[in-house]
Amino acid sequence: MALAAALFLSTGCQRDEITHFRADKAPQTTAARTVSPAMVREEVASPPPAATGSLKWTLPRGWTDSPGSGMRYATLKPPIAGRIDVSVIVLPGPAGGELANVNRWRGQIGLGPIDENAMAAARKPLKAKAGTISVYDFSSEGDAKTRIVAGLAVVDGNTWFVKMLGDASAVHAARSDFTRLLQSLRRDSSN
Amino acid sequence: MTPRISRRAWDALTSLKLTLICLGLLMVLVVACTLAQVEMGTFGAVNVYIRSFLVFWQVPGTTFRVPVFPGGGLVGLVLMLNLVAAQVKRLELSWRKAGLWTVHAGLILLFVGEFVTGAFQVETQLAIEEGQTLNYVESPRQMELALVDVTDPGHDDVYGVPESLLASAQTIQVPGTPVSLRVKGFYQNAELIRREPGEGGSPVDRGVGTGVRVRQLPPVSGDNETDLRAAYVEPIAGGRSYGTWLVSNGLGAPQSFVHEGRTWALSMQPRREYLPYSLTLKKFSHDRYAGTDIPKNFSSLVQLKNPARGEDRDVLIYMNQPLRYGGKAFYQASFGKNDTLSVLQVVENPGWLLPYVSCVLVAAGLVIHFLFVLFRSLKRAGVGVAR
Repeated sequence: MALAAALFLSTGCQRDEITHFRADKAPQTTAARTVSPAMVREEVASPPPAATGSLKWTLPRGWTDSPGSGMRYATLKPPIAGRIDVSVIVLPGPAGGELANVNRWRGQIGLGPIDENAMAAARKPLKAKAGTISVYDFSSEGDAKTRIVAGLAVVDGNTWFVKMLGDASAVHAARSDFTRLLQSLRRDSSN
Repeated sequence: MTPRISRRAWDALTSLKLTLICLGLLMVLVVACTLAQVEMGTFGAVNVYIRSFLVFWQVPGTTFRVPVFPGGGLVGLVLMLNLVAAQVKRLELSWRKAGLWTVHAGLILLFVGEFVTGAFQVETQLAIEEGQTLNYVESPRQMELALVDVTDPGHDDVYGVPESLLASAQTIQVPGTPVSLRVKGFYQNAELIRREPGEGGSPVDRGVGTGVRVRQLPPVSGDNETDLRAAYVEPIAGGRSYGTWLVSNGLGAPQSFVHEGRTWALSMQPRREYLPYSLTLKKFSHDRYAGTDIPKNFSSLVQLKNPARGEDRDVLIYMNQPLRYGGKAFYQASFGKNDTLSVLQVVENPGWLLPYVSCVLVAAGLVIHFLFVLFRSLKRAGVGVAR
């Protein structure tokens, strides 16, 4: 019984050591990140460190936007039924690099990572007033598909991400408006 | 201790009153724990009321905590002592009482099982999407700072620094690497806020965290709440500082630095346990009763691969039918993403068999006792008829 009590009291004293594991670069990571509030927050990232180079955009008809809370620069809302989220995020510098971010997006819908060549094949350049935007469009596996369309632009040393994520049907319905929104990205002359 | 006091203590320990008091206390604890789950969540309430030796009350406005009630651990321990003592005192060691001895052994084993569970059970999660292959489980409540050598194109070397080490705000040498992490701050729960242009005062000078302000928040424990961890760390390798970084599970952007040609990624992630096998979710099914939206069954068809054992087989996991493998039980727990994401609760409990064994013992003991009494009654009745 004393042993049982000791065992009971030992709860919480386990696994305080640094672990090491060699993991194959296999499709993994962010599926779990879709199920908890913290993981939802992980969808957003960080803001511009400098005052230079803010972007503006023109909202498609029926769309609304609001200033981002926490880490988001802005949240956009299309007039589409279904699960869909459009965010604007800006990060200082290269923000980890294009490939890492593309693979992060793919991970968010359960797809495995790709290499530089595959990323180049998936990239669709889009001309905008702010410069060339790299657009990526990925859909998940499964019967009920999730789709992500994301545009990435480097402006004045900051990396801007405009991302639309949701049910494939909702994203499909908003896709053309989203493209027009990306094309409208321009420097904010008021800064 | 005089013989008289010893006898009184022995009488108290073996008394039925003590049994009833303990059972009453357990009932109070169960009710209090149930009500507390509204505020504290299931895990928090169970830890405070059931898996503790004392229940504390924090004096409002202070950090002073006063014990106000025995916890489930203490009551269970006393009840177990009471049961053992009463058995030793009252039950004679004879075949006639074999059934009752067996019943008592089963009950004691039930208590032991709960202590083993409290001490050793580890609960993790496996959230997996259709088509995805994972070879790790993650803790839903514990985080770790992952330092990952991503240089090799074929594999990653993942070093997990538990948050308990980060909380001690020390310099941590990561074994097997040239990297030390100087922890400059750790937040159990925090809010990340966009830093306004020109806003100063950040200790961070590298990575995306330069644009982020961290605001400390009190920890949360509700079932649908999760703490957002954050830490300021300064990697040092080869005597060189690589600047101060913000790591948080609220930061999605990848962060890394290069030391002597090797790229090291830094992130805060749920604490991972890597497995010597992998699971691929082939199909998640959310069955409904025909013509309704009422759930009928949830199931995950997974492919289990263990190269070391040469195993490659499909397993169907469904409600109350877990996959038990490698000391872990994978239960169907939740789902999401339009039924393309399956969440499996992974339980590792070395004492998982004890409740089953104790139930068998109790049932067997009752049957033995019943049969013994039955035969004795029949024997007496037979004698009566004969007379």
